[in-house]
Amino acid sequence: MGICLGSYRMTEAEVITKEDAQYPKLLKEMRDAPKKLYYKGAWNPQLFKHCFAVVGTRRMTSYGKRVTEQLVGEIAAAGVTIVSGFMYGIDATSHKAALRVGGRTIAVMPCGIDVIHPEYQKDLYNEIVDNGGLILSEYEGTFLPTLWSYPKRNRIVAGLCQATMVVEAGENSGSLITANFAKKFGRRVFAVPGPLTSSVSVGIMQLIKEGAAVVTSAKDVLDYYCQNLKFFPSLSLASKAGSPTTKKILNSGSNSELEQKSRSAPFTGSSIDSSISSSNSLEQKILEQLRAEPKEIDELARLFEMSAAQIGSALSLLELSGAVTKEGGKYYIA
Amino acid sequence: MLIKVSSAAHSGLESLGIDVEINVANRGLPGFDIVGLPAQSVDESKERVRTAISNSHVEFPQKKITVNLAPADVPKEGSFYDLPIAVGILGSVLHFEIPKKSLFFGELSFDGSLRHTKGTLLLALFAKEAGFEKLYVPAESANEAAIVQGIKVYPIENLEEMIAILLGKLHLEPVAYSEGVPSFTGAAAAEFDMAEILGQEMAKRAMEIAAAGGHNILLTGSPGAGKTMLARALPGVLPLLSEEESLEVSKVYSIAGYIPPGGSLIRVRPFRSPHHTISQIGLCGGGTKPQPGEITLAHRGVLFLDEFNEFPRTVLEALRQPVEDGRITISRSRGRVTYPSRFMLVASANPCPCGFLNHPKKACECTVREIHKYHKRVSGPILDRIDLHVDTPDVDVQELAQDASAKRFLESSLVIQQRVARARKLQQERFREETIHTNTEMKNAHIKKYCVLSPEAEGILLRAAQGFQLSARSYYKVIKIARTIADLEGVDHMRPEHIAEALQYRPKVYGSA
Repeated sequence: MGICLGSYRMTEAEVITKEDAQYPKLLKEMRDAPKKLYYKGAWNPQLFKHCFAVVGTRRMTSYGKRVTEQLVGEIAAAGVTIVSGFMYGIDATSHKAALRVGGRTIAVMPCGIDVIHPEYQKDLYNEIVDNGGLILSEYEGTFLPTLWSYPKRNRIVAGLCQATMVVEAGENSGSLITANFAKKFGRRVFAVPGPLTSSVSVGIMQLIKEGAAVVTSAKDVLDYYCQNLKFFPSLSLASKAGSPTTKKILNSGSNSELEQKSRSAPFTGSSIDSSISSSNSLEQKILEQLRAEPKEIDELARLFEMSAAQIGSALSLLELSGAVTKEGGKYYIA
Repeated sequence: MLIKVSSAAHSGLESLGIDVEINVANRGLPGFDIVGLPAQSVDESKERVRTAISNSHVEFPQKKITVNLAPADVPKEGSFYDLPIAVGILGSVLHFEIPKKSLFFGELSFDGSLRHTKGTLLLALFAKEAGFEKLYVPAESANEAAIVQGIKVYPIENLEEMIAILLGKLHLEPVAYSEGVPSFTGAAAAEFDMAEILGQEMAKRAMEIAAAGGHNILLTGSPGAGKTMLARALPGVLPLLSEEESLEVSKVYSIAGYIPPGGSLIRVRPFRSPHHTISQIGLCGGGTKPQPGEITLAHRGVLFLDEFNEFPRTVLEALRQPVEDGRITISRSRGRVTYPSRFMLVASANPCPCGFLNHPKKACECTVREIHKYHKRVSGPILDRIDLHVDTPDVDVQELAQDASAKRFLESSLVIQQRVARARKLQQERFREETIHTNTEMKNAHIKKYCVLSPEAEGILLRAAQGFQLSARSYYKVIKIARTIADLEGVDHMRPEHIAEALQYRPKVYGSA
C-alpha cells in the first residue's frame, strides 16, 4: 500500500521483526533495538556480516569529499558494507563512493520507510536498492523526520556496524552522537583527521582526544576488520568492479599505478603524451607543488611567475591525463 | 490653401516618409486640428506651434487650420512635427515657396527656438536613402545629422531664422560634420585599470579573451573577490568601435534620445549595467510603442548583469533569443519593431546563497538543497549561451600587496587593449565575406571553415569531450574560445595548447553532493 509520492518508483516496503532469525545480530545486542525494521531492497543476511558506518557533517568541504571518496571507495571495494544516514554531505558521499566501486551500502532513514529524505536524492536512493543494498527504517509509512528521530536513527547506524568512522564533524555535529553510540556499544570508533583551521575539524579532534583511532589510510580500517573480525578482503569484488571510475579510485593510491593508467587509457586521435612531455618540466613542477598542497591556478601562476594562460593550458592537459583533479577551484593530485 | 511639407516617422530603427499636409481654410470657424493618428505628443504640437509663431513676430492666422499626417494609418509619435507644421502655416501667411526635396524636422520651444530632437541621425539616413537633398534640423542636432555624407544639413536656431531662409533673406551654409568632444552618456569610461586589480590572473586572462572574441562570460566567486571590479575594468580593454559598428550604435542611441546636443558618432563601446530589479521590458525593450531596452542599448558593447542569479527567471529567459540572434523583435498591438542586440554578456554570481562556498576562511552555511536551488535559478539554456565560465577565488589583498610576484604581471588596460584590438582585426579580416564580426558569432559552418585543428589538437579535444563530458555545444564553444586565444597570439594556426587553455573555461557543475 505504497502511497503516491510524485513520480517516484515506489516499491513495497517489507518488515522484519526482532524475533526473526535473520534480524541483524549486532543490532540485537542493543538494549533498545527496534522491534520492527522496515526495509526496501533484497534482504541478504550476508550484508550485515561486516558493516562499517561512515558518518560526518552535512557541511562537507572539498577535502572531506575527497577523503571520503578515497577511503570509502577502498573499504567498500574490499567487501565491507558501508552504512550511513542518507543525508547530503558526508553521508551521501559515502553511499555514492561505495556504489561507484561496485560495493554495497545500507542507508538508515530518520523517517518513514516510504519517504525519501532528502527528496532530491531519489536517484541515489534507487541506485542503492538496485545494487543489492538496503534502505532501512524503524518507522513505517510516511512519517516525516523530526528532531528526535535523527539521534534514534544514529543508534541504528552505530548498532549495525562493528566500527564507525567519522569524517568531518563540527562542534555539535550529529555524527558525534553516532560515535558516542558506537562507543557505548563497545564498537571501535575511527576518526579522520582534518586541518586544525577547519570548523568541521572541531568534533573530530575532540573524538581523537577521547581516544578514537586515527585513520590515515583505508588500510587502518581494513586491518582492524581482518585481524579482529575474521574478515577476508574480497578480491573478486575489487577486480570485478571494472568501470573506469572504479579504476580511478582503486588506482589513486600510488603513482606507478597512475602512470600505468594514463598510458592504458583509450586514446582518440593522436597522443597527447607528446604535448605533455614537450613542456614536461612545467608539468613536473606543477605536480610537485600540488603534492605539497592543493592550489589555485592564480597561486601557481604567481609562484612560477608565468601567465595564467600557460598554467591553465598545462593543468588542462594534466587533468585530462588524470594526474590532477579540480575541486572547489583548487587543483589536487588525483 | 493647401501646403505640403515633407518629414519622416520612425518605427524602431526604420523610417518612413511622412507628408505633412496643411490646409488653411478661409471658411469655417477658426481652429487648429491634426489628423492622421497623432499621439499625445503630436497633438500637443498645436500649442507649441501657435505660441512659437506668435513669438516670432508673425501673426497666427485666425483661420480653420487642418493638418494631415499622411499616410494616415501609421501612428505618429514625437515632437519633431513642430517644425514642418509651423513651416506649412507660415507658408500660407507669408506666401513663400516650400523648397523641393527638403525635409523639416524639429521640436519648437514657445519662444520660437528649436530644441535638440532625438532621432535626427535616423532622419538623415532616411533622407539620403529617399533622395532628399536638404535637411532643416535644430542647430543642436545638426552635427548628428551631418554624420551622413551627401546631403545638405542646415542648422536652424529658431523660427525667425527659418522664416528668413525661406523668404530668401538669409543664406546659410550647410554644416560639415565635426567629431565632437566625446560627450556620450551611455558608456562609462573604465572605472578601474586592469593593473589596479591584484591577483585574479586567470579571471583577467578570461576577460581579455572575452573582449577579444566578444564572448559571453560568467564570473563566479565570493563577495569581495573582485568580480564587479573586473567587469568595470572591461571597457578599458575593449577595442574602439569600427565605422560600421559606430553607426549602428549611434542609430540606437539617437532613437533612444541619448545623443546629447551637438553630439557626434559614438566611438566607445556601450557598457550597460542594469540593476537586478529590472523588468523584462526594461531589459528587452517594449511598451505600447516599443522602445529599445538595455540589451539594445548595449549593442556592440557590454551588458553587465551583476548578481546574475538574483535576476527574475523570466527576465533572464527573455535573453535567450537576443543573445543567440543578435536582435530582438518586439511585437505589440500597435506595431512590430526589430532592434539590434549584439552585445557581450558579462554576468557575475556568487557560488551559493551565502556566498562563501569554497571560501578559504569563512564557512559556507548553505545546505546542498539551497545551493542546488540557487543555481537552478539560471536555466541551462542561458548558461549554455555563455562561452567562458570563470571562478574568481577569494584573494587576500594585503598579502598580495606584499607579494612581488603578484605585481610583476600587472599589465595596464592599454597593453591588453592593444592585443585585443589586434585579435579583433584578425577577425575582421577573417569574416570579411561573412555577415558576422567576431568569433563568438561563429556558427558551426564557420567553425568548420575557419577553425582547422591539427590532429594533435583535435585529439585533445576529443579526449576532453569524453573525459569532461562536454556537450555538443560546449565542444564547439571550446573551439571558438581556442580560436580567439590563437588570435590574441596573432597566429592563424590553432595549436594544442590553445585548446588546452580553452578547456579551462568550460562550465562548472555546482551543488553536487
